[in-house]
Amino acid sequence: MDGNQSKSKIVADHVSVEYEKDEKNFLAVDDVSMTIQDGEFVVIVGPSGCGKTTFMNTIAGLVRPIKGKVLMDGEEITGPSAERGVVFQQFALFPWKTVYENIEFGLKYRGIGKEQRAEIVRKYVQTVKLEGFENSYPHELSGGMKQRVAIARVYANRPQVLLMDEPFGALDAQTRTIMQEDLSEMFVSEKRTVLFITHSVEEAIYLGDRVVIMTARPGKIKKSIQITEEDLVPNRRQMGFDDVINMKEFLELKAEIWGLIKAEILAKHIF
Amino acid sequence: MAERKRRQSSRRLVLSILSFTVVILGWYALTSWARMVPPAFLPPPQYIVTDFIRVIGSPYVGNTLIGHTLMSLQIVLGGFFMAILIGIPLGILMGWFKRIEAVVDPLFQLLRPIPPLAWIPLSLLWFGIGLKSKIFVIWLAAFVPCVINSYTAIRLTDPLLVKAALGLGVKKQRDLLWEVAIPSSLPVILGGVRIGLGAAWMTLVAAELLASDAGLGYMMQMARRALEPSVIILCMLIIGILGALMARGLRALEKRICPWVKQEEH
Amino acid sequence: MNQRGERIFDVIYQEKIFLSLSSILGFILIWHILTDVLGLFPALFLPSPEKVFFTVYEKITVPVGEEKLFGHVGISVVRILVGVGIALALAVPLGILMGWYEDLDSVTSPLIEVLRPIPPIAWIPLAILWFGIGLGSKVFIIAIGAFFPALINTYIGVKFVDALLIRAAKTLGAKDKNILWEVVLPASVPLIVAGVRISIGVGMMCLVAAELVAASSGLGYLIMLGGDDLKPELSITGMILIGVLGLVADRVILAVERRVIYWKKE
Repeated sequence: MDGNQSKSKIVADHVSVEYEKDEKNFLAVDDVSMTIQDGEFVVIVGPSGCGKTTFMNTIAGLVRPIKGKVLMDGEEITGPSAERGVVFQQFALFPWKTVYENIEFGLKYRGIGKEQRAEIVRKYVQTVKLEGFENSYPHELSGGMKQRVAIARVYANRPQVLLMDEPFGALDAQTRTIMQEDLSEMFVSEKRTVLFITHSVEEAIYLGDRVVIMTARPGKIKKSIQITEEDLVPNRRQMGFDDVINMKEFLELKAEIWGLIKAEILAKHIF
Repeated sequence: MAERKRRQSSRRLVLSILSFTVVILGWYALTSWARMVPPAFLPPPQYIVTDFIRVIGSPYVGNTLIGHTLMSLQIVLGGFFMAILIGIPLGILMGWFKRIEAVVDPLFQLLRPIPPLAWIPLSLLWFGIGLKSKIFVIWLAAFVPCVINSYTAIRLTDPLLVKAALGLGVKKQRDLLWEVAIPSSLPVILGGVRIGLGAAWMTLVAAELLASDAGLGYMMQMARRALEPSVIILCMLIIGILGALMARGLRALEKRICPWVKQEEH
Repeated sequence: MNQRGERIFDVIYQEKIFLSLSSILGFILIWHILTDVLGLFPALFLPSPEKVFFTVYEKITVPVGEEKLFGHVGISVVRILVGVGIALALAVPLGILMGWYEDLDSVTSPLIEVLRPIPPIAWIPLAILWFGIGLGSKVFIIAIGAFFPALINTYIGVKFVDALLIRAAKTLGAKDKNILWEVVLPASVPLIVAGVRISIGVGMMCLVAAELVAASSGLGYLIMLGGDDLKPELSITGMILIGVLGLVADRVILAVERRVIYWKKE
């Protein structure tokens, strides 16, 4: 593979991560290697507690692996950075800032002027459909709304790599579908690199270029399934979610992936 | 549903007013009407009113009621402000920088269990009977809760928020402290300020009981010597009201400074 | 759960211990230097650390006033236990009833809201007028001080129990009385215990205040005597013992709390 292929944006090289609980050390991630190309949308699925979030945290630079290393653009990742934006599962909104101020937060550190910031914030408030709530505080919002603010906040910062940890988890079914379609559309028009964690196999197939299935803890890669143009209609991302999930190819993929996950869950008794 | 709530709250109001009236009437009956309790022990309620009228204008042991009240307030607020000016920054630094915590904390823990009141005799010895000794003790009383609350709040800053800030481009420790730790700790810090004010007020009264020549506490002490319990009770009520007003004022301030906090009553 | 590599703000454990220990030792050393070596403070003003140490040692066998050192400690402890005991015996049941029966709440609230803001220390002159200088006045002050925090916390604990739990109990067939005993009370124990903790703290403070103002025995008396007799080492002794007493009381309550609230993590 030479430089004429798209660059490897993120490389995880035999990464193992430990965590500590009750004075004992457990292996959360076990020798995982993965390459994410520039502009690729990779989705990680797997049973609960399999280390997906921990792995993502190493790429975010929030956790250092015990073994192996993580690289971005060829350079080792040593800490968090605005170029690897994270959408947390628990929202992590700043409760003392309004919706507007939360979304604006990262922009200040990029040195963007006030007027330009206002423009950008407005754009993303619209994207996540929270017009009218710019001056509300997080505690006044529902879970789904908070999650949308968390997403807008990272989107607005335009990181090179988007790390999203079950970002649509707290949303109701309708909003979730809309957000999935929005993300899909945005990915096509703005082409960023995305690492996405989800429990929903349908979401994974709809959004991802590649679906990586992790084993139960300690997490290893069980299988990596490429969603190529033969497997699924190439312009699925421009189609509505409900249209895609009923296609035959989609259902076949879904059965295959879900079968693998289910086997993991049953084998390791983690339900 | 709203109808039921309205009925409940009016029932509550009626009962409260009734109960209050009964107590006052009972008090009146026991002391003034049936004279079952001697006035030197528990004065009839109306004495308190007459005393109020008496001392509000004309001097009682050196100053009018207003004069004594102002004296007390001045001292409390003086010591209190000095306490928050030093206490809050110190608490914040202790909470954020582990080295500072390691140095200051042991001394702090050693001195903390000693009630500020206990410092009064020593303070009198060091600073004499004047203003300084009182301000010192009051400062101490307000200082401790300020430091503790600030320190605890900063230490308990949600690491998730810190991570979020890091992932949005914040790099310097100083920025993290200013943009994440301090704002998220404001509600608790202000809580500490409120506790500090209450403690300062209490300590002032004690200091004035022990060694003063002016102020509400002094007034109470003198009234006791003169066997005038009605004046004592009058002062008690005023001390209570002032304390409550100050607490309420601080709570209103909290609401303005931290508009994002869900307000709970009580 | 702690992920390795998340040590963004940690300082090595050993460095912390080192800084803490040297801080305490440094404090004592500086104290010693300022008093003994440099003689900056006359002994009447601030005694050297050794003097305090020897005073403590001496007073274990030589009486101060009418008691030896442990006698004073004992008297103070008795006062606190009785005062706080009475307060808790009254406040906790009342708090539970007030929290559970809304009507009782409406009736008692006004009286409580009027009395609560009055700092316990402000009751001292009245207490002395009523009970003289004996045990009674001290116990009264401590009881008043300890009463309200326990009452309020118990009340809140009972009144604001998660309605969901009560609903669950009802759908499982429990009657009102069972719900009070089996659901509400256990659920409110954390808050009640918190209230007890605060009560003891306030009680200690009231003890010191009462013993400072009018006593002939006890730790507060020691502190005051030190000031009067120009023997600050006596005051410091008293202060240290109060501090120790406070720490011990706090630890005991924490241990009790841990056993009683075994079902709550952390």
